[in-house]
Amino acid sequence: MTLSLNIPRLETDRLILRGPEAADFEPLCAFLMDPVRSAGFGTEETRSDAWRWFAVNIGHWALHGYGYFTIEMKDTGQPAGISGIWNPEGWPEPEVGWVVFDGFEGRGIAHEAATTARDWAYNTLGFTTLTSNILPGNTRSVALAERMGAWFERSYDNVHMGAEMLYRHPGPDALAEGAA
Amino acid sequence: MQVTVTIPELETERLILRAYDDARDLDRFSAFMETDASRFFMGPMDRYGTWKLGCAIMGHWMRYGYGLFAIEEKATGEFVGLTGVWEAETWPHPELAWMLMQDKEGKGYATEAARRARDYIFNDLQWTSVVSAIEEDNAGSMKVADRLGAKPDFEHTRPSGIKVIYYRHPAPQTAMETVQ
Repeated sequence: MTLSLNIPRLETDRLILRGPEAADFEPLCAFLMDPVRSAGFGTEETRSDAWRWFAVNIGHWALHGYGYFTIEMKDTGQPAGISGIWNPEGWPEPEVGWVVFDGFEGRGIAHEAATTARDWAYNTLGFTTLTSNILPGNTRSVALAERMGAWFERSYDNVHMGAEMLYRHPGPDALAEGAA
Repeated sequence: MQVTVTIPELETERLILRAYDDARDLDRFSAFMETDASRFFMGPMDRYGTWKLGCAIMGHWMRYGYGLFAIEEKATGEFVGLTGVWEAETWPHPELAWMLMQDKEGKGYATEAARRARDYIFNDLQWTSVVSAIEEDNAGSMKVADRLGAKPDFEHTRPSGIKVIYYRHPAPQTAMETVQ
């Protein structure tokens, strides 16, 4: 069996979205093991668990052809977070997700990255709709989803996170017509 | 980012070692991981966790170019376990690992599969030495290690507090002779 990974490199004004690299592990691990920062994403208890998540993401790319990009700051080359399309076993449908690491909040990085990932999913992968699953109380993510034009559709029980709110993003046609 | 990895298919008298395949293997793999029998193999965990682990197995191949094979029973085509190399940035040593589902115990499958994986490690990967990490109360795996001619070499306590005994396998030439 031959597995191929072909992860594109996407550029915005300030950011590069690219495939995960070994050097991304430490900042990712710090995020995943921080129970406060990763509460809305899914916390990993040990470094080994965090490493496994790093491998899960690469495997997700291999299986689906999409996954989480590392968000890299153009000016410094630092990893600032992750954003991409995620669709594990038991998920209601593919979602666009975003996370920024400690020290990178408040600059619109998540919005710039998530919008780019969503455009890529629509324009290159041919997705016609996308969701974002958000834990009740995660007001920052709700605000970002709404800024991206997404709306609350329903609550559901996520296999991993429990009760979550499903936000529906405007499709590619609606975006082309100017939604968000 | 572009990576291509070919996962070989290996054969023994009664078994095939091949790429893990979510569609064919997840049901049986998950059934095993949900039981306490998986306690020496990162379990127990739910179906979502097992899906993630399958993804991590594929991500591991992409990251290192080697990894864990699914073990298939020739007679039935069923997934019966895993064997191969498992390694993590956060672990002290890469290891030859094996896991066999409970309903296929007592046939010598674990030894047969791990021996084939070890040959692959020595002949194809050209490693000159390999160890297996076995938790101190995992008597079943110690028996398999004994049958493979491996000897206790050193101990390691994981951050979780679990004590692990590293068995050192015979060097390639000796290992080849034990196959006969």
